[in-house]
Amino acid sequence: MDSANPLTAPTVREAAPISASRVRSGRRVADKILVVASTVATLIGIVVLGSILLMLIVEGVKGFSPLLFTEPTPGPGSEGGGIANAILGSLVLTFIGIVIATPIGVLAGTYLAEYGRASKLADLIRFLNDILLSAPSILIGLFVYTLMVRTMGSYSGWAGGVALAIIATPVIVRTTEDMLRLVPSTLREAGAALGAPPSIVIKAITWRAASAGIVTGIILALARIAGETAPLLFTALNNNSWFSPNLMGGIPNLPVMIYQFALSPYPNWQQLAWAGALLITITILALSIVARFVIKSERAR
Amino acid sequence: MNAPTEITQAQLTGRHQADENAPIRIAVKDLNFYYGSFHGLKSVNLNFHDRQVTALIGPSGCGKSTLLRTFNRIYSLYPEQRAEGQIMLDGRNILDPRIDLNELRSKIGMVFQKPTPFPMSIYDNVAFGLRLYERLSKADLDIRVEESLRKAALWDEAKDKLKQSGMGLSGGQQQRLCIARTVAQRPEVILFDEPTSALDPISTGRIEELIEQLRSEFTIVIVTHNMQQAARISQFTAFMYLDELVEFGPTTRIFMNPEKRQTQDYITGRFG
Amino acid sequence: MAALTEQIALARSADAPARKTPGGIGDSLFRLASYGSALLVLLFLVGILGSIAYGGWPAFREFGPGFITSSAWNIGQEQYGAFVAIIGTIASAFLALLIGVPLSLGIAVYLTQLCPGWARKPVSMTIELLASVPSIIYGMWGLFIFAPLFASYVQIPVSSLVEGMPIVGTLFYARVPSGVGILTAGIILAIMIVPFVASITRDMLDQIPTVLRESAYGIGCTTWEVVRHVLVPQASVSIIGAIMLGLGRALGETMAVTFVIGNANRLSASVFDPGSTIASRIANEFNEADGMQLHALMALGCILFVVTFIVLIIARLLVRRVKVA
Repeated sequence: MDSANPLTAPTVREAAPISASRVRSGRRVADKILVVASTVATLIGIVVLGSILLMLIVEGVKGFSPLLFTEPTPGPGSEGGGIANAILGSLVLTFIGIVIATPIGVLAGTYLAEYGRASKLADLIRFLNDILLSAPSILIGLFVYTLMVRTMGSYSGWAGGVALAIIATPVIVRTTEDMLRLVPSTLREAGAALGAPPSIVIKAITWRAASAGIVTGIILALARIAGETAPLLFTALNNNSWFSPNLMGGIPNLPVMIYQFALSPYPNWQQLAWAGALLITITILALSIVARFVIKSERAR
Repeated sequence: MNAPTEITQAQLTGRHQADENAPIRIAVKDLNFYYGSFHGLKSVNLNFHDRQVTALIGPSGCGKSTLLRTFNRIYSLYPEQRAEGQIMLDGRNILDPRIDLNELRSKIGMVFQKPTPFPMSIYDNVAFGLRLYERLSKADLDIRVEESLRKAALWDEAKDKLKQSGMGLSGGQQQRLCIARTVAQRPEVILFDEPTSALDPISTGRIEELIEQLRSEFTIVIVTHNMQQAARISQFTAFMYLDELVEFGPTTRIFMNPEKRQTQDYITGRFG
Repeated sequence: MAALTEQIALARSADAPARKTPGGIGDSLFRLASYGSALLVLLFLVGILGSIAYGGWPAFREFGPGFITSSAWNIGQEQYGAFVAIIGTIASAFLALLIGVPLSLGIAVYLTQLCPGWARKPVSMTIELLASVPSIIYGMWGLFIFAPLFASYVQIPVSSLVEGMPIVGTLFYARVPSGVGILTAGIILAIMIVPFVASITRDMLDQIPTVLRESAYGIGCTTWEVVRHVLVPQASVSIIGAIMLGLGRALGETMAVTFVIGNANRLSASVFDPGSTIASRIANEFNEADGMQLHALMALGCILFVVTFIVLIIARLLVRRVKVA
């Protein structure tokens, strides 16, 4: 790169004409731009995440108090209160969602990896599952609204749970299939060679061999649905009091509470929204980090 | 297999003594095998004698593993693979579509090239096959597990860590665990698919001794790419080449006095 | 071959105890359950389309093709058209790609070519964690942190600069510089799609054999030339697929957009003006909607479904498998 030196250049027979050095400087500029631009792009990403976390911590910590976890959400314009009902409601909804999605997702993933494999139907389902994975969640809310809220005549925790389950299922299907495919086929052959029927080979051997990965998928699904708001708007709605054990009517939950309170004119509500936002984000980021570490160790094996 | 002189020759080598009068455990008649449209085995005819070790040798890709994998029909896990012909065992053709594959496989054990311990404890690995087919009390199960681990020469090393994962054992130990797991089911035949190719020489030696001991109870078929191994442990040897059975006979005769030119070339290392 | 010796193989021997196969009915039940679960996934998608099409049908019947081209949204007079929402959706998604794609490619190049080894994992993780942040948090960040900054440092100076100029004077003029609007939505969406596009692109660049890269560097290429002439052409199909995937996300994103787009049923030529997208309109109005408004919202959902479905199919055809994490 030092051939641009005017003293040495003439002594070299094959030295390129002057225009070559101009090209070289152009190349260098393009390279510099790329380096700077891609570094800046990465910095933007880091700064955005940092600023989101900073915002949540600064605003959220102000609202943190023990009352948050014991008192239900207050009425409009009133003071005090907490978000205990929304926390509990979110736990219940997420629990229903994951309890429905786990067996469906794991079994469907098992079908794709073990039974269907290369069949046309498995290809189709694999394809549609990937689409469902990225489908707008609000449309899932509309579907469950038509399916359950309309027919049952009321918003309910069940509808909210089902909506979340439909969002969680493709995540679990996908990770289950991926993880089962990592199980060496010799292990299946060894199981079959002992005379174990396919269902026992799957349940006792391949599931077990892939268990860490499957659990990761469930954690990822949990992280995905814990913060989902759009599908709950028309299914679980929200509620400013405790909810009845039969889960009928609006069920308080963190995401919709945050949505409604953050956009409200009442400072007290806004404060609670920030506290809720901090809580939910920390939870979800923690889940994602845990899942990432489990999946890394599984893939390394 | 009709010249008595060869038996005499085999007798000379002691442990190679091939008992050609031993009853036949598996009779293969006109077996053809297909991977999709590829013809993987071409009309193979072969008998396997009871309580003898038969080695399948030949260059890689010659079909020896394919042949082995027909005996417990493990190939049927893959829909594009199929076999035609007859493999008689216990009076039934195991290629018959009506055969209960799980039952068949419980009678024909298989040990694979790479150790395949299941992701569970050593004890559960051995008990896995037992629990499938037999309802045993806890005490009986313990006895059978110990007995199998002893037969696989693993008991002394494993008795203090039965509850630990089978994945934590060394490669050689894992392979013996797989043998114990297979032996526990008390199969009639045990198939070995290059069982030592992933192991170090010391572990290989132990497995070979083990196979020699197991011969007193089981009919053994072993695929090996290692001719010395075949010579060391088998009573009968089948040489395969290009998806066909070239020659079969007592190991001593195959190695010392092969009838076919191809066998001769392979054994003397001229190809393969 | 002595017939005697064949007796074990050919005759059913008495000493072979009959073994009962385990599993039996449980085995078929399990198979059926996994088959049924797989079909359920298919059913979910059919159900989504079916329910929205069913709900939106009265609106399509009432307004015909005019539903798509009409920009009316009058609840009092029961006149509904999807045009404003469609334009808002497309405009915000387009802006998201315009901003998000270069950002993502930059990050992918940084991670695969420039980043020092020790920093790769933490930086990768940081970018991927952006994908885990719930969309409602992006909405709050956009509305409370980004929008005020955007209003005072971009909207107001740019508006006063371009005021009166042809074209740019319309395109970049904020009548009310509140910080919210189509461009703000586009920027927030851009940030939201970055982790997806960047991580797929990074994986694709990683898959390119090192030999190829090294031989390019070996003949004296700069990083830019390696990226431009070797890596990007190799990974281009997958990168386009990743971009389509990002587009699918941007089109359907609801909560973040609802916070920052301004939710106005107005057709404006300025990217600083508020607007609405299909998803934000559904989120805002659905719970209070009744009668024809409900059908119209469902019909909007139907349009969104078809558009995202097509985009995602293209994405899926280009990127063989989409990563979950």
